[in-house]
Amino acid sequence: MAKVLKDAAEKIDETLFTFAGYDAKDAERSGYSNYSYWRSTWNVFLKNKMALVILILLATVLAFTFVQPYLPQQKLPTLIHNDPETGFQLRNVPPGKEFILGTNSIGQDLWARLWSGTRTSLFIGFVVGLFEAGIGIAIGAIWGYVRWLDRIITEIYNVWDNIPSTVVLVLMTYILRPSLSTLIIAMCITGWLPMAKLIRNLVLIIRDREYNLASRCLGTPTHRIIVKNILPYLVSVIMMRLALAIPYAIGSEVFLTYIGLGLPVDTPSLGNLVNEGRRLMMAPSMRYQLIFPAIMVSVITISFYILGNAFADASDPRNHV
Amino acid sequence: MSKTIEQLRQEYGTREKILTIEDLVVKFSLRGEELTAIRQASLDVYKGESLCIVGESGSGKSVLTKSFMGMLDNNGWIDSGSVLYKEEDLAAYRFERQWMQIRGKEIAMIFQDPMTSLNPLRSVGSQIKEAVELHQDLRGEAAREAVYEILENVGIADPVRRYRQYPFEFSGGMRQRVVIAIAMACKPQILVCDEPTTALDVTIQAQILQLLDKLQKMYDLTVIYITHDLGVVAHVADRVAVMYAGDIIEVGLSEEVFYNPQHPYTMNLLSSLPQLGEKGKDLYAIKGTPPNLFKEIHGDAFAPRNSLALKVDFVHRPPYFTVSPTHKAKTWLLDPRAPKVELPSAIKQLRSKWGDDIVAGS
Amino acid sequence: MPAPEKLLEVKDLSVHFGRGRKKFVAVHKVNFDIFKGETLGLVGESGSGKTTIGRAIVRINPTTDGQILFKGRCISGRIARELDREVTQKIQMIFQDPMASLNERAKVDYIVSEGLYNTKNYTCEEERKEKVTKALLSVGLLPEFATRFPHEFSGGQRQRIGVARSLVMNPELIIADEPISALDVSIRAQVINLMNQLKKDLGLTYLFIAHDLSVVRFISDRVAVIHLGQIVELADTEELYENPVHPYTKGLLSAIPVPNPRVERKRQIHAYDPSMHKYAENPPKWMEIAPRHFVLANEEEMEGYRQNYNHHAKDAI
Repeated sequence: MAKVLKDAAEKIDETLFTFAGYDAKDAERSGYSNYSYWRSTWNVFLKNKMALVILILLATVLAFTFVQPYLPQQKLPTLIHNDPETGFQLRNVPPGKEFILGTNSIGQDLWARLWSGTRTSLFIGFVVGLFEAGIGIAIGAIWGYVRWLDRIITEIYNVWDNIPSTVVLVLMTYILRPSLSTLIIAMCITGWLPMAKLIRNLVLIIRDREYNLASRCLGTPTHRIIVKNILPYLVSVIMMRLALAIPYAIGSEVFLTYIGLGLPVDTPSLGNLVNEGRRLMMAPSMRYQLIFPAIMVSVITISFYILGNAFADASDPRNHV
Repeated sequence: MSKTIEQLRQEYGTREKILTIEDLVVKFSLRGEELTAIRQASLDVYKGESLCIVGESGSGKSVLTKSFMGMLDNNGWIDSGSVLYKEEDLAAYRFERQWMQIRGKEIAMIFQDPMTSLNPLRSVGSQIKEAVELHQDLRGEAAREAVYEILENVGIADPVRRYRQYPFEFSGGMRQRVVIAIAMACKPQILVCDEPTTALDVTIQAQILQLLDKLQKMYDLTVIYITHDLGVVAHVADRVAVMYAGDIIEVGLSEEVFYNPQHPYTMNLLSSLPQLGEKGKDLYAIKGTPPNLFKEIHGDAFAPRNSLALKVDFVHRPPYFTVSPTHKAKTWLLDPRAPKVELPSAIKQLRSKWGDDIVAGS
Repeated sequence: MPAPEKLLEVKDLSVHFGRGRKKFVAVHKVNFDIFKGETLGLVGESGSGKTTIGRAIVRINPTTDGQILFKGRCISGRIARELDREVTQKIQMIFQDPMASLNERAKVDYIVSEGLYNTKNYTCEEERKEKVTKALLSVGLLPEFATRFPHEFSGGQRQRIGVARSLVMNPELIIADEPISALDVSIRAQVINLMNQLKKDLGLTYLFIAHDLSVVRFISDRVAVIHLGQIVELADTEELYENPVHPYTKGLLSAIPVPNPRVERKRQIHAYDPSMHKYAENPPKWMEIAPRHFVLANEEEMEGYRQNYNHHAKDAI
């Protein structure tokens, strides 16, 4: 056989031309990739600078909301401040040294009310959002996975979904007295429907994948297939829906309070603050009472939306390149 | 009797090279890391031949062909090396309009799944006609006539009726014929077939291979097949290039590679085939899995899975050693200093029955 | 030779999908037995109903008509809970695509233990871990892999995880649905060897479903050829490959590519045309042409097959 050797080849040590021996374990280890779903998700998320900035902003706002009452020299949100000299209420004091964001029309500190309101609204948002997620996921998963239940739940859904949610809310608030819990219950009653529908459709798509058939062959009970095989695949979608459900609930609260069906006037919430501010909107000097709460509502809702979308993008394995 | 091996070797000596790939390196950026998909691969393609590129998934066989058609994904790029076609270096192409001059016109491609290259919403005829109008400069009735002719050439009966039908009205094999028709309408010099029959049943597969063979002779085409099915390779290939971990480790005439494999990977691959196995006994199994291309590979990429690896395989990368004018392989086993290695028994049997002349005289 | 024990009997099995005008007959009156300790190959092209049969046996697809008997007891249709549990454990399945058949979000440890959790087939956590380790070792994987996720593995390794998952159940019958067609050529031998090894060591019985006749020839003791929902021929492997009777079998056999260029270039293909059968007036029956060699034919065809067959057999001698 004719052989052509390159120069470099000739310099190689002769002793290397012996058998090296062979390790089956090494061969078995050779092909790994170190791909990790969550690490990749996080990496893609970090690349989205806008989302990162917003994440920091939102985290700061949330943290401050809870820390604020414990800071020194904070005023109570419901305390009405009087002028010590005249005894009159310090109404509509513009933002300044004493009252950072001014006072409202009966002399309460707007700064304290704003943070207190944000706390209330976030509480509503999280409770409603989590409830929607919990009920929506549970019902949606059963709806999509258990075939013979599909017809029944679909019919129930169709009836329920055709009742306008505003009507339900109006009825609820009239039957029960307006209060925080009334509002939350009212919002929860209809809120889980879209979530359940979404989960059901997604479950339908993946329920007959081979790995689920494999689990059925092994006799895995339905509840464990749902919890172990199906829901983990939906985490990204669920997280996004949740991130969107929170600002939606805050927005509804603002809307309901604004049309007079929401929280009682004495409970500071972003809805009540916006509503109060709206009444004074026409006077330019008092417009700050609307602007500050409105900014807060916008910041929170927009941030959640952007973060939800960024997270959904990041958690899509197709973007992990 | 077909041509002897000597005749084939001589014939290749006079053939004209149509495409020359030299030291090509293709990299991808994936999840923030760099992956070297093609590691300094070199390959000559001769005019009018059918060349099979064999390799497993991840060996880079598809990437190699995509790199000279400007079809690399957005996260991939040619890092170094050259691809010469008609005195142009395709590796230096940067813009889509440059590739437009090559893709389809000069080099066309057929994919595994015909549906990915057909538009489900347009009739089959209009899709072929578009290619005819673009590449043959025919219009209206003349273009339509040309489409009928092409349809008949690819074995679709009743072209007038079929012209108006949509892809979903065709079976898998027929769709693949349509895809071939579109490729042929561009009158390419080189046709790249990426696993053209993998998705088809064996009986249909045979028909498609026959068709490609007929078209090759009709138009004096150069056909590059990409496949992992060594049965298909044996059927269609004049020459075989074996890829492993982004490099072409052995290339030779089909007879040379099948009856006289030199690289341990080629030997192992052949002897692991159930067709060559002895029933009741274990098949020869290649251990482990292909290497991770994110990591830098030292020496021979196959060494960790090779039970007969030499120490040098782990240190130095082997150059090509020439076995015959048409056959070369990258393995240190061909170095004069290397110990002699017995061929696996399955290959010995295959050779003694069919290919004794391949090694005779050397 | 004593009569081998029938592990599984399939009697007049039919599976239809949909109803009314959308009705689709996937499997039509199929009969075959699987004997204990053998590998029965079931070969057919896509859409032939071979996967449907496999899934009917593991009861993922409901049957429309006919019976499936496991050790003499009917396991199709509604069955008692006790039997259901037993059958779930004794009949296991290996799937085609190792990329799709493993739960990507669970660790290998859970995937392999899944069957154990279901049958509570262990007394303590340690015993479960031991069983997982044993199963992984028996398919040639390292025990340390248990803590990893499936996406870290290559196709062949993943398929072996799939095998390990069914092995922990101590099955008797394994339905292997195209277990190697999605794997790379260099990996296939690993899985074939593994299956043969386990058959020897554990006395397993396989129904090996595939479209690749060369693999089936290597691994099966007997082979059934299925075409459009009907089994057209069934015989011992070598008998079927040497003396195929049904024209469809002949066509299929002639179409297998062989990895040998000089043979392959000369290969002739027999095309099969279903319209050659005149079954409208004379419907086919399932008949034995030679001992243990069955074919689907009507009397008229059978005569022709017989003559040809005897000719061929003489030539062989």
